[in-house]
Formats: sequence, structure tokens, C-alpha cells
Amino acid sequence: MNKALRNPVTFFLFILPGFILMTMFFIYPIISAVYYSFTSWNGVSDHVKFIGLNNYTKALGDERFWISVTNNGLFIAFSIIIQVPMIVFFSLLIANVRSLKGLYKTAVFLPSIMSTAVIGILWGFIYEPNIGLLNSILKLFGVDTIYWLADEKYAMLSILITNAWQWTGFYIVMVLAAIISIPRELEEAAAIDGASGIQRAMRITLPLIRPIISVVIMLSIAGAMKAADIVIVMTKGGPAGSTDVMATYMIKYAITNFKYGYGNTVAVLIFVFTLVLTALYQWLIARRSERIKY
Amino acid sequence: MKKSLMLLVSLLVLTSLLLSACGGGSKQTSSSQTTEEQTPPQTTEQTGTEEKKSAEPFEITIRHTQVGADKQKRLAILTDVVKKVEADVEGLTINLDGVDSDVNRKEKLRGEMAAGNPPEIFDLFGSPDSKVYAKEGKLLDLTPILDELGIKDKFTSLAPFTYEGKIYGLPIGGSGEGFFYNKEYFQQKGLKPPTTMAELDNILDTIKKDGKVPLAAASKAGWVPLMLTNHLWSRYAGPDITAKFATGEAKWTDPNVIKGFAKHQEWVDKGYFKKGELGFEYGEYTTQFTSGEAILMYDGTWKSSVFKPGQSGEGMIGKVGFFNMPPVEGGIGDQTALMRDVNNGYGFSAAVADDPRKLEAVKLFIKYLYNEDMQIRGLVEDGVLPSMKLDEATLNANITDDLMKEIVAVLNSAQSSFPAFDALVQADVTTEISNIQIQKLIGKQTTPEKMAEALQKVQDEANAAAE
Repeated sequence: MNKALRNPVTFFLFILPGFILMTMFFIYPIISAVYYSFTSWNGVSDHVKFIGLNNYTKALGDERFWISVTNNGLFIAFSIIIQVPMIVFFSLLIANVRSLKGLYKTAVFLPSIMSTAVIGILWGFIYEPNIGLLNSILKLFGVDTIYWLADEKYAMLSILITNAWQWTGFYIVMVLAAIISIPRELEEAAAIDGASGIQRAMRITLPLIRPIISVVIMLSIAGAMKAADIVIVMTKGGPAGSTDVMATYMIKYAITNFKYGYGNTVAVLIFVFTLVLTALYQWLIARRSERIKY
Repeated sequence: MKKSLMLLVSLLVLTSLLLSACGGGSKQTSSSQTTEEQTPPQTTEQTGTEEKKSAEPFEITIRHTQVGADKQKRLAILTDVVKKVEADVEGLTINLDGVDSDVNRKEKLRGEMAAGNPPEIFDLFGSPDSKVYAKEGKLLDLTPILDELGIKDKFTSLAPFTYEGKIYGLPIGGSGEGFFYNKEYFQQKGLKPPTTMAELDNILDTIKKDGKVPLAAASKAGWVPLMLTNHLWSRYAGPDITAKFATGEAKWTDPNVIKGFAKHQEWVDKGYFKKGELGFEYGEYTTQFTSGEAILMYDGTWKSSVFKPGQSGEGMIGKVGFFNMPPVEGGIGDQTALMRDVNNGYGFSAAVADDPRKLEAVKLFIKYLYNEDMQIRGLVEDGVLPSMKLDEATLNANITDDLMKEIVAVLNSAQSSFPAFDALVQADVTTEISNIQIQKLIGKQTTPEKMAEALQKVQDEANAAAE
């Protein structure tokens, strides 16, 4: 370390560029969003009228907003209860496969490099009621035509499956990296001691990759809270608004209708909800499994 | 030594950062600087105008949405107009700025309006957009220009672009909505375009019994089925009823409006629409019809461009007909009324008024774009209905396409027209009916009565907020 960095002026100059960028692209937008969330701004006018907490009471009292919040909750629940166990399961399988590991890794990773629009079309074909893949298979078992995206009972589930398909591969690659970085000796020692494959997976590998699983869960929560594109391409929030999430609610009920004040309110709510959820998760669960020492 | 070097480097970083920040901050000056830089190569391209240029060069920008292969014909019309205006105004260079329609409408133009720097001429939607911008004083009042050019009364309707009695935009074209039908199938089965609702019901029933889909349906986006519902309630409750919702003179719960909703649901119940419609995209709507699966399709006249050589409906050229919604027994008001929209066109920045030369250019742009020739070109080349009143004989002389002839005949036989609901009610009501209620009606999660009540509730709130 040289003397220059001990000089407060130089030190300040060095953090200045980063600070300016951070302010411009992060702090300022958040402050302005909070500011406009208390107004009835239409997105165009020079005159901004303060309406206090009206936007917030409106959003929190709107049944449709809560349907959207619930759907975001479903996204989270689906990823934690179904997606994460599958990610771990497949990662373990791929990590222990003897040949073609590269092929499997590429194959599972492929969906996450596709654009959501493409995935929407792709799965649109799979869910197509008359000639779609899924119904054709179900027909073999005598199941009647199911209108996956048109029926309120199945629409949300269809989106969740597609979303899981899109992102599972990405997380698998993350978990795989963690598994591969576990020192080989640990497993070998356990094997010599007579532990079976399942025992080794449960007792050795799983505890050692807990930190990365925790990161995967946190990323899933954050991703689920801001989900929008997949809903827009698959159902547009329909049928009858049953698959709306907070972000699509914001677009439909605020942005499209020249209600930028209200839109900012919803955006702030999404931000707060996400912040609280991830903070809670970090605080209660993730903190305990942060460090692993071999 | 090291210390001074470090300070020097940090100073350099800082100054370059500050300079770049200044460059971005003052938009007005920087943009005029860049335009000056850009002008020389552009003027060298047009060597013809170089010599006679006594006036100082200036530019205006036209934001259009004619992007992509299927809008080439429309773009050609615009470029022709641009050339004429440039030739007439000394020193003028017109920049064409093409942006996707939805991006322009919902993001770019709105952002520019908020920042106060929209292009001089831009693609604009009538309702509700033009009213919001006009209220904020962002749009040029066109009333004096139209008076001067004498074309104020030439338009079929300027209502969507009118705010407090002044005109702020001009529709480029229009569209009408009605039933496209498979002529070949109709002939085979001995069917004729209906003249009453009862006849239409019979036709639908016959097609259903024949094992075909009577009506194409793709209701993932609510506006698609709503075209039909809108026309139905306007038949039962009168073509002018929708305009009265926003003023409180009429209510959605009017028994006749409910009859319209009920009719739509009745057709759903009878299985007249393609099943699973709530999951289909608008693109599939046309496919159901062109593949021969569905016999009727309720859609806008813009769809006629599909039935042209090289387009997806090529195989049906000469086999497609068009008829208006038939009159209903006991329906209120004009039973020939056609649903017509003139909601998209051009608007002009209010800043143009401060610069007489730009104002002159705008005047000429309007003069060259909004006239009989261009309207007919739009109709013949692009299948867009005229937004201006045209002489019937001239129209007929120019149309060679059979389907277009039928469409124009329907247009002429309709004694009146009315705009679609979304040009008349507040955005909140549009959101409620197109995102929630119509899909509930189709999915049988609501009744026509409950739907009307839910809509009236939102309507009341919107009306109260407007006061």
C-alpha cells in the first residue's frame, strides 16, 4: 500500500466514478420512484400533484393486486418445493455420470440461453389443445382434451412448469460447479468406509453444497418476485387475469393507462416485498450455512 | 513522484467523466450540434437542392411506425410525401425515424413528451393518447391549418383527435369491422349472407351441425372477442350508447347492453366458437379461417390485406366475402351502423408553432398526405380504408379487388358509424372489460348481468375521478 491511498482526497476521487454511476443508475431511480409513488402523475404532465398515501391504499385494497401477489407467491413456492429438489437431484445425477457429462451439462443449460419469447412459442406448441405434444401423450392414456393455457385451473401451473424448465438448467450448472469442487478424498474415504451412493449423496455432498443451494433459493425468490416476461408471452395474464403477477399488474393497470404515479407505487411495493423476503431469508436461514471449511 | 502520478491519473479520470456527463446533460445544445455535424453529408447527397439553397438549412424529424416487410407500401406513400415537402421548402431536410408502433406509443413518444422533446411530426393514437398530450399542451393545434387548407370537413371523423373543440391530430386511415365469410362454403351449402340476426343464428347452427367451426376465435387478448361483443351490444342498445357511459347518461347495466353480452355468451354456449379460444393468439385467428376450419371470422377490414397474392390467405383469393352485423329485432337506433375506427394518424409537436419555417413544412406535409390521391393509394395498395370522405365514383373506379369492393359496398350501405368502445370510455374501463370481464364471460365464470354490474362499478369510479 502506498501513501497515495492514505490521502483522503485521492481516496475520494477513486470512489467517485463508482459512486456517480451507482447514484445515477440505482439510488436516483429508486428515490424518484418513491417520490412519484405519492403522486397522481400521468407520465407526461409538468405538474405533479401529491396525493399522499392514496396510491398505496388503492393498491393494497385492490383484489386484483392481491391475486397478483398470490401468483408471485406461487412462483416462489413452486421453485422452492419442486424446482430446487429437482435441481439438486439432477445435479447429483450429472455429477456422478461417467460418460457424456459435457453433453448433459450443455443439454440442461440450453433452455436458459433461449429468449423467453422463443420459449413462450415453443411451449405454446406443447400446450396446444388439439395437436400439442402434451395432449397427444395424455390422449394415449384416455385423458380428455385439456385447455392448458385457456383454463383457469391449469394456466398458472402451465406457466410455472415452463418457467422452471427455463431456469432449472442454469441453477444445475451452478450446483454442479459446487459439487465438483468438493475434494474427491471425502467421497473416497466414505466409500472405503462402506457408505452407499445414496448415503454419500445425503451425508457428504448435500451438506457441503448447502451454501450454493441457499444462493439458488435466494435467486429464485428474487426472480419469482420480478417475473413478468414469461407470463406476458404465455397468457398475457389471462384467462380473466388469473395469471397476473405484480409486474404485469403494474403494466396493465398503471403504465398502459397513463397512471405513472400508481405504476411507481406498485414498483415500490414489488421492491419492498422482494427486499423484505430476501432479507428475511438471508437472516433466518442463509446466514447459518454460509461458511464451509474443509 | 508516485503520489503526483496517482493524483494526475485520478484528475484525468474525473475530468473525462465530468465532460462526458456535461455532454449528455444538455440535450438541446448537443442535439443541435450533432445535427450540424450531420447536415453536410446529407446535403451533398442531394446535389440538386445545393445550388438553389439561399435559406439556412434546417431539419425536421418524422417519427413513423412503418417498419417491417408488411408496411413497405405505407412507407412508400410517406417517402413520396416527404420528397414533395422537401422539394417545396428551401433548406429543409426531413429525417425519417422508424420505430415499432407499440414501442413508439407506449415508451418512446411518452418519454419524449415528458422530457419535452418530441419529434416535429409523429405517429399518434387518437384516444386516449392525443387527449392526454393535448391537455398538457404538448400538441400543435391544427384547427387553423385545416381551415386554411379547407380540409376540416373532409374527414369522416376527427372525434378521437379532438380535445375541447380543437383538433390535435389527423387519422391516416380507418377500418371497419364485420364478418369475413368463406364464400365457397356458403355456395356449397346454399347459404347467403344474413339480413337479420335470426338468419345469422340459422347459418351458425347449420355450420355447427355440418361439423365445422362457425366462428373463428382467439381470445388470449381481450380486444379480439370484444370487437364482436361491442358490435352486438351496439345493435341491441343503439350505436350511440357507448359514448354515453363516460358521461353517465347511460349505464352498462342497461338491459339492452346485457342482451348483447348474453348473445355473445349464448353463441359460446352453443359451441359456435373454436374451443379453447382463451389460449389462442390473434395470429391463430386468421389461420383458423384461411385453413377452412372456421367459416366466419369477425374482424377489421385491415384483414383484407391477407387475401392478396404472396400473403398467408393467398389460397382464398376470390373466395372471401364480407358482411355487416345484421339488424336485430327490437334493437335500438340505426341497425345498419358500422363499427369504424379512425384512431391512428399523425400528430405534431407544439414547439413547431414557434418556428414559422417548420410550421410551413408541417402545413405542406398535411397538404400532401391528406388528399384524395393518397387516400386512394392507401386503400388500393394497402387495404386501409380512407379516413377522408371520398367520391363514391372515384372509389369504385379505383378498386379492382373483389373483397375490397364488397367491403366498400358494406361501407356505403351503412347509414351511420360508431367508434369502438375503447375510444369512448376511460382506460380503466377498457382494462376491466378487455382483461377481465370478457374472458370471464367466455369462460362462463360470470353472467351477463354480473359483468354489466362489475363494469358499471369501474365506470362510476372512472367518471368520479374525471370530475
